Amino acid sequence: MNDYRYDHQTVQGFILSSIFWGVVGLLIGLLISVQLWAPAANFAPYLTYGRLRAVHTNGLAFGLGVGAIFGLSYWIVMRLCKRPLLFPKLARVQLWLFNAGIAAAAVSLMAGYTQSLEYAELEWPLDVAIVVLWVMFAVNVFGTIVKRNEEQMYVALWYVIATVIAVAVLYLVNNLAMPSGFTKSYHVFAGVNSANVQWWYGHNAVGFVFTTPILAMFYYFLPKSTGLPIFSHRLSIVAFWSLIFAYLWTGAHHLVYTPLPDWIQTLAIVFTIFLIAPSWGSVVNGYYTVGQDWTKMRSNYLTKFFVLGITFYGLQTVQGPTQGLRVVSQLIHYTDWVPGHVHMGTMGWVTMVTAASIYYVIPKIYGTTVYSEKIANVHFWLVLVGQLLFSITMWITGIRQGWMWKATDAEGKLVYRNFIDTVAGNYPYWHTRTLAGIIFVVGMLFFVYNVLKTIQKGRALEAQATPPASAAITAV
Amino acid sequence: MAGKIYSKPIAFSVLATVAILVGTIVTMAYPMLRADMHPKVDGLAPLPALELAGRDLYQREGCVNCHTQTVRPLGSEVVRYKGNRAEEPNARYSLAGEFAYDHPFLWGSKRTGPDLAFEGWLKSAAWQYAHFENPQQIVPKSNMPSYAFLARSPVDAPQTQANMRALRRLGVPYTDADIAGAPAALAGKTELDAMVAYTVSLGKAVDRGGKGGLEIDLAEPNPVATDVAAVKRGKELFDAQGCSACHGEEAEGVEGVAPSLVDDTFLAVAGDLPDAAYFGIIKAGSDVKGQLGRPGLADGGMQPYGGELSDGDIWAIVAWLRNQKAHEAAEGHGGGHE
Repeated sequence: MNDYRYDHQTVQGFILSSIFWGVVGLLIGLLISVQLWAPAANFAPYLTYGRLRAVHTNGLAFGLGVGAIFGLSYWIVMRLCKRPLLFPKLARVQLWLFNAGIAAAAVSLMAGYTQSLEYAELEWPLDVAIVVLWVMFAVNVFGTIVKRNEEQMYVALWYVIATVIAVAVLYLVNNLAMPSGFTKSYHVFAGVNSANVQWWYGHNAVGFVFTTPILAMFYYFLPKSTGLPIFSHRLSIVAFWSLIFAYLWTGAHHLVYTPLPDWIQTLAIVFTIFLIAPSWGSVVNGYYTVGQDWTKMRSNYLTKFFVLGITFYGLQTVQGPTQGLRVVSQLIHYTDWVPGHVHMGTMGWVTMVTAASIYYVIPKIYGTTVYSEKIANVHFWLVLVGQLLFSITMWITGIRQGWMWKATDAEGKLVYRNFIDTVAGNYPYWHTRTLAGIIFVVGMLFFVYNVLKTIQKGRALEAQATPPASAAITAV
Repeated sequence: MAGKIYSKPIAFSVLATVAILVGTIVTMAYPMLRADMHPKVDGLAPLPALELAGRDLYQREGCVNCHTQTVRPLGSEVVRYKGNRAEEPNARYSLAGEFAYDHPFLWGSKRTGPDLAFEGWLKSAAWQYAHFENPQQIVPKSNMPSYAFLARSPVDAPQTQANMRALRRLGVPYTDADIAGAPAALAGKTELDAMVAYTVSLGKAVDRGGKGGLEIDLAEPNPVATDVAAVKRGKELFDAQGCSACHGEEAEGVEGVAPSLVDDTFLAVAGDLPDAAYFGIIKAGSDVKGQLGRPGLADGGMQPYGGELSDGDIWAIVAWLRNQKAHEAAEGHGGGHE
């Protein structure tokens, strides 16, 4: 057919892989949500909450998230460079290594091999594999961009480049460890320093896995699917540079009131507040882009995914900085508020935009349309309701518990002295969270079904268009 | 000029790298060069082999997903974790210097269960064993999974030695003798032994025990001994303070966790002591047992409640305990003891 065919199969491979790991990660998420209110659901040592939580977060961040980022970034790079990937075979090897790596990661975490660093749990042999994967990705992205057939690099490419660079720096530094065997190592940094490096990493892993590559998708797929040009190029420029500059200062807002030196905490809080500006630069740009023709919300089924996605990004980037403030942090830090916040970003922003981008790409590969817009709409409403119910429930119970921890009487004595009394009230909210999770997962299953049916439809069309050689001969 | 950068991928990438590195250097790399990132409290020692093995298990089981290890300098938090017993004002919350050998830090980010930074000052080893085996038996509404399976596996001594060597390469001052002695220290120990040893070591690098600070006068009478309202309030306080978690619903004791408060033994020695002894232990914890001439359990798990309860409250609890004991005796349970 054309030069792109092989690369498109690779892109589709990444998308299908990411969907597969996404379903695994979501189902584990449901199980650990049940374990929070039913300790008997910790069926065996390798299925305890303590081990599975990392399988949930890694499965979704690296399996669903990074898998989709690999595939969709390649799509964006090819389109914006007007050429196929520079190293198509390398991308295919990367696809297989990615799947082997995620499978090994899941097994190793269930076995209890962990560095105990959030979002960097994987032990050093897997870290090496991830570095290799990332180098493969970087070589293909940079190679293809250098050999591009389009003079200007569009905004989406800036975000892809920033992602490749930042994740490399973050991952390499925070995973520096001293091995004591194949399955065990120790962070080379100790104590407060270990904490500071980890949260510099942890916060920016969110920034450069859940923000910049998703913004790349947003800036590329929103105009492509609606036909509306991005409202302001100037705003895109300002937002991009200020975002990638400011993000790296903010990690220590995760360590407010810990023994970390105050000046680092304060600096982080200040930059966190500043970060609202570049984040909202993209939010405003998104709204004004769709604002050129709001009827797209009705006439184009993908528009609402992008608009709601950027809305949750906007809420997330105001809520996050608010949480960094000391007065707020002392109430909500360590409570369920925080998972409520994180899940708005992942379920609302990341998944909405990623799913819409996949809905756009898969039919394009086959030159067809999505299997069912109606199913896509059902998917949309279910994930929206599931995510809102999840986040709002967690915010309420987080404030409730944070307040109970702090409540003292006139003499300074605790009102709720027994910690368990502050936990017991969480149970109804944790039940609701599981319900919200089920609604969300059912929504995602509609999405998976729709994607698979679209591929089936595309393959049938391909088979019609290019009948087997023998059939062609008989026809003549 | 500005527009050209978007058609020069190499220059663009260099500029993006610089943008990313500025904050990285100021907030992450530069602090490493400063002394305030590498403090160490006086007398901090590396964890002995058994406690280190416990810490490795704490990591393996992902305890950090539900338990933090930093007491913040907030009034309510200091009171909750009893940092207010410390004489040094700044020892009332977690100190940077306590974590100098923590590779990595295990402060966590979520308190589904309580903070454990001062756990060594709060609970006895006996409590920890019973709680790991079956959390709901000790804390009925708890959502913590059972870790009884740890009792079925021995500690991996060669791995622990390898871990000590790796930590030594990172600057943790283990001696050759420490490492050579590990197999002997770990002989016959289960993973549960290691986990408990680590748990009861938490926060012990800094003195937060308080000095007892109480002279017990055993002749001091209970001012509310015969006050019916006080007895009723004593029971309410007993429940509200969670005393039953260790001593049982009716203060009858929990096997292997904490003793009965209504029998004729006191601190494991036959023969009861007067009300003032109960008052002293509730108010100032196990630290005062030396004054009573009774050793009790080696690790003496009773924590002081003087921070939460007024003297009147404590006397009310003692009044209820005495009333409860009298009931037990009257119902014939204690008949044989008298």
